[in-house]
Amino acid sequence: MLKVVHYINQFFANIGGEEKADYPVEVREGEVVGPGMAFKQAFGEEAEIVATIICGDSYFNENLDKAKAEIIEIVKKYNPDVFVAGPAFNAGRYGVACGTICDAVQEELGIPAVTGMYTENPGADMFKNKVYTVATKNSAAGMRKAVGSMAPLALKLAKHEKIGASCQEGYMPNGVRVNFFEEKRGSKRAVEMLLKKIAGKPFETEYPMPTFDRVAPNPAVKDLSKATIALVTSGGIVPKGNPDHIESSNASKYGEYSIAGVDDLTEETFETAHGGYDPVYANEDPDRVLPVDVLREMEKEGKIGKLYDKFYTTVGNGTAVASAKAFAEEFAPKMKADGVDAVILTST
Amino acid sequence: MYSASAEVSRPFLIGGAMKKDYRIITNNPLVREKLGQDHDVEFYDCSYEDVLKKVKEEVCKGYKLLTHPLSGSVKPNETPYKSVMVSRKSGETDLMGIEIIERAIASVSKFQFKSDKYAPQVYEDFRLIDYTLISSALPSADAW
Amino acid sequence: MRLEVGHIFIKDIQFGTESKIEDGVLYVSEEAVKEVVLEDEHIKSVKFDIARPGESVRITPVKDVIEPRVKVEGRGGVFPGVISKVDTVGEGKTYALKGMAVVTAGKIVGFQEGIIDMTGPGADYTPFSKLNNFVVVCEPVDGIKQHEYEAAVRFAGFRVAVYLGELARELTPDETKVYETYGIKEGMEKLPGLPRVAYVQMLQSQGLLHDTYVYGVDAKKTLSTIINPTEVMDGAIVSGNCVSACDKNPTYVHENNPVVHDLFEEHGKTINFVCQILTNENVYLADKQRSSDWTAKLCRLLDLDAVIVSQEGFGNPDTDLIMNCKKIEAEGVKTVIITDEYAGRDGKSQSLADADVAADAVVTGGNANQVVVLPKLDKVIGTLDYVNTIAGGNEHSLREDGTIEVEIQAITGATNETGFGYLSAR
Repeated sequence: MLKVVHYINQFFANIGGEEKADYPVEVREGEVVGPGMAFKQAFGEEAEIVATIICGDSYFNENLDKAKAEIIEIVKKYNPDVFVAGPAFNAGRYGVACGTICDAVQEELGIPAVTGMYTENPGADMFKNKVYTVATKNSAAGMRKAVGSMAPLALKLAKHEKIGASCQEGYMPNGVRVNFFEEKRGSKRAVEMLLKKIAGKPFETEYPMPTFDRVAPNPAVKDLSKATIALVTSGGIVPKGNPDHIESSNASKYGEYSIAGVDDLTEETFETAHGGYDPVYANEDPDRVLPVDVLREMEKEGKIGKLYDKFYTTVGNGTAVASAKAFAEEFAPKMKADGVDAVILTST
Repeated sequence: MYSASAEVSRPFLIGGAMKKDYRIITNNPLVREKLGQDHDVEFYDCSYEDVLKKVKEEVCKGYKLLTHPLSGSVKPNETPYKSVMVSRKSGETDLMGIEIIERAIASVSKFQFKSDKYAPQVYEDFRLIDYTLISSALPSADAW
Repeated sequence: MRLEVGHIFIKDIQFGTESKIEDGVLYVSEEAVKEVVLEDEHIKSVKFDIARPGESVRITPVKDVIEPRVKVEGRGGVFPGVISKVDTVGEGKTYALKGMAVVTAGKIVGFQEGIIDMTGPGADYTPFSKLNNFVVVCEPVDGIKQHEYEAAVRFAGFRVAVYLGELARELTPDETKVYETYGIKEGMEKLPGLPRVAYVQMLQSQGLLHDTYVYGVDAKKTLSTIINPTEVMDGAIVSGNCVSACDKNPTYVHENNPVVHDLFEEHGKTINFVCQILTNENVYLADKQRSSDWTAKLCRLLDLDAVIVSQEGFGNPDTDLIMNCKKIEAEGVKTVIITDEYAGRDGKSQSLADADVAADAVVTGGNANQVVVLPKLDKVIGTLDYVNTIAGGNEHSLREDGTIEVEIQAITGATNETGFGYLSAR
């Protein structure tokens, strides 16, 4: 019989809600907990859940490296054929935890993993291209349906069978195009899609066009010598020691730091948190990524009115577009309120 | 970046004919042989991909892309030959052209490289096909 | 315009002393059909063969696939401007030999492609494995140029198809389908309130081995134009296109255009199928612009509500497709486009060479870079000499055990962009 290890959070383990979110990693050997019951039923005689790992969402996300290491150790011990996490539905931190731990199990142990969550769960955007992520409803009311897709997919992965196209297996499109034979020929599907489009009914394209957010440029700054200029970077420049622990990849947060009175970023005061490029040159002189020195000079020469005394920073390394968008939506109004006229965005 | 040096044949002005406002960038000897005398043909002894990169350089300099770089259904890395037409005069940046040439370059890596695996006769066929593809653009280009 | 198409089911093909159709069996006199092929002085010799569904047979390299038809009533004859005179076709009565095709095969250029397997996994990918195929393999005279040879084989295929179609002239069809379209005003009166829909077909038109002919006119020299969909059923469009086997349209696909057929299914019920618009896929970018402008303009002039746009071939037609889609949508006409993908062997690359948000309704014929292993089959019609060099193959394609590892782009019709097949991708 195939072996499965199942990961769930404190809520689905019936331990408690937000007040118990700091619940540490716990393993229950041979025990099927919460949604595990539905999986057990779906697996039938083919697979059994050999252990259930429970972890509070806050505990996981606030002690990321530690929690990850603990869970990896446990999974390693049971050496399952497949690892299942969730489903997390619309619970954001749970979804991120499921994606993170599935990704780690696959990368570090070479054990295939599957999770499930609502398409708008931030964990989906972050991990759907790395981990088979079944699209679920936005609440636990969709448990049956979620397990109905996750369990067969888990069995296929455990047996190293060929995985079909996303629409057949129920996982979210993951950037890998997979061929399969439809029941109707292409022209028939085209006519049916056209009829829906004409009638204004929802239809599903078979190939979503790659879309890029096009941002219409603002009109040019009229007089630079009177403008307040801000610096924002995805190059990961942070005060030495990375006080807010911005992740080296898949950043879930950004930092706001003062550069009031700072003329030059030095090796002693700043560094990069970015894990996606060789940090030597950025650490040696962080101005190379966040050009505070040059802008201070221009400020003195009167070329620009003023350098804004705060900068915003995150790590662009694999960070979800949705997260990046959310960061900017938060800090852009602050800059606007402070009278920033223009922003220089630097990347790496 | 391009080890090959360009041999540029300039068009003869026959009977006071207008000088054509296009040039053909190619690595296809047959195009040079057949069109070199009456057309502005820039020949490079380089790969298919390098022809596209050369074209991109030109388009980035402000020359207009005049033919589709993925002309024909013979796949990149299958045929070693490519001929692309760009304008002779530079002007405003051809944004659509830049987009097209960039996508074309990106598509090359999707195909397995086997341009060097054919019997000699097959190369003649590839040269001929590329020549007919670029030739099909001449009537429209000459109509300007 | 009203066309009746009588179907005559051919359940088997056999060689015989006399060419005839009897009880659904097509008997072909080799002597007689040889004469038809050798009319052309460019052809030195010809061989015929028969490949039936399920047989352990591989046909390669395939040039064209053609369905034999004969015009029994109404103006003109099949393949107007190519075999018959240029009279307008598309009305009256036409008989088609269903369940069979004439397949022309043989090497025109050294990288010739196109595989039809009659059994095994390869057969799943080609729609032509389900037909009884009468295969014509022509040898050219010495010293012939490639373009002369291409034309000779192209015409030989049509002549054979017409010769076989003629055998059905006096027969009674097994079933009859009726297709009727109306004039602009007539249609609005007869089908009030139904959305006005057309089919925009893009034709490959770029040079040797990349050409399509409409009433005998090379499509690259045409402006976008209107044709009655019943005209294509009489062979108004023929293929001279031999490159990119998976997504080129053989003549068979033009005669049996699936978009035309499936739009007719809805004609008078949920839509008013107004007409077919033909446009080309030229090399010169200004031609692309002009043709797509013209297509969008026609859609507007015809007061259409929606269109289906189909594509042919790899790479640069993606640009035509997106231009057409964008401009037609900009006229307020809704579109669905049909394409195929080159997403790389791992399926991870950008599928198309162009993209636009206006293309929000796409049907795909699948990823042409997908690798498939074809088993060794007992018999090869044509030659395996080129398997290593065809698109989607490599120097290891033909393996020692006789199996072939290729991308499905080498298989005739595998990812057809008129929606002829069932393959798709997500």
